Amino acid sequence: MTFWRQVYEVARKDLLVESRTAEVALMTAPFGAAALILIPLAIGTDAPLLSQLGPGLYWIVVLLFGMLVILRKSAVDGQAQRDLVRLLGIEPAAAFAGATVATSALVLFFEVALGPILIALYNPELRGWPWLFVILPLVATGMGLLGTIASGVTTSIGTRTSLTPLLIVPLSLPLLMGATQALEGLRLGRGIVPWLILLFAVDLALAVSGVLAARPLEEAVT
Amino acid sequence: MTIVRNRWLEIATVAIIGVSLFRSMTVVADVTQGDVQRIMYVHVPSAWLAFLAFMVTMVGSAAWLRTKDQRWDRLAASSAEIGVVFTGLAIVAGMIWAKPVWGQFWTWEPRLVTTALLFFIYLGYLALRRAVIDPVQRARRAAIMGIVAAVQIPIVYYSVNWWRSLHQPSSARSIDTPLRITLLLGVVAFTFAYAVLLRRRLELARLEEELDAKRFEQSQSVAGADITVPSLASHPHD
Repeated sequence: MTFWRQVYEVARKDLLVESRTAEVALMTAPFGAAALILIPLAIGTDAPLLSQLGPGLYWIVVLLFGMLVILRKSAVDGQAQRDLVRLLGIEPAAAFAGATVATSALVLFFEVALGPILIALYNPELRGWPWLFVILPLVATGMGLLGTIASGVTTSIGTRTSLTPLLIVPLSLPLLMGATQALEGLRLGRGIVPWLILLFAVDLALAVSGVLAARPLEEAVT
Repeated sequence: MTIVRNRWLEIATVAIIGVSLFRSMTVVADVTQGDVQRIMYVHVPSAWLAFLAFMVTMVGSAAWLRTKDQRWDRLAASSAEIGVVFTGLAIVAGMIWAKPVWGQFWTWEPRLVTTALLFFIYLGYLALRRAVIDPVQRARRAAIMGIVAAVQIPIVYYSVNWWRSLHQPSSARSIDTPLRITLLLGVVAFTFAYAVLLRRRLELARLEEELDAKRFEQSQSVAGADITVPSLASHPHD
């Protein structure tokens, strides 16, 4: 089996598990939507203010509630599953890449699901919206990479559910900054290329780190 | 003479910190900010030391993954601990400096926010180390995080250039010579302090590992005795 075929099969396996439980679609996404509804009740329902704050709040919800998407992945990957993947001869780098693809796809789905709710409730300015087709996947990929690495190092640790967000949230700062500043740049009609480069550079750095760390990560959970 | 030979680094550090402290208190004050600017001689070296410590953690992590030598893991862990302490010191010193200059302890300013997050990243690194008991597994997992966490360092460093805000960019070259010399002296003094702390912490880490190994041996022998000593002849129900 080629490397890319292995990546495909691992990603397919993870997405198949998700399609059976529909945890992201039926639980995490509504939970995130509920947060977007509750926030204005806490900070005030001033429409112009919400329109201005909406995109930033959206990214915060994506980042914090995206943790549930990432933790879901590490929760379903039990020791038996990992052993089976290893026995099938899947390359550690391919297993890492496959898991990242699946997690990124789920985070992207989560982002897209929350988008209409943001627009409906906050009425944000949508200048330059086609750029979202670039920004959303870049952020989802970064979160997927970060989540797969952090889930790997915390696998089978008793405090995993607390430790994984502590590792991921501060490290996702460049993703949050890149996403929010890019949207702000679009709103003000400024260039956003430096922010896209930042997002791409972070994704690339995490991808290289993850692929290089894939074998030690696999040894760590053996 | 033996004490001087064994403790030359500590003695040199105390001397240079003394000189640096004296110089920072007596050098001419900044024209605009006055005496409050003197906190720069603690704030900037602390931040420099935090960067240095976290870079050493990254190097130690990469070296462990390559060699599997526990000494590299001890170096990475010890340096991260010192880095966290000095990041905290840089943040607190910065906040004390900010109050009279900016009018408040904290502003939502990129350098402050990124530095605070750097602090939390390495707290997470240390928490990860505490959560794993097996030394080899701990070293392996921590090494991966030690490398990934280093991605944040250039972001903190360049944040003042990328997001131009209240915090000034690096000004070591533009300030007056007496102030610059004092600042550099502070950086050298803090670097010496780092070397001393790192050496002590490494020694402590080595002793901790030896103690853990001895405790493990003892617990093994007790368990062994429990299993092998009781015999059927002495069983109360017989």
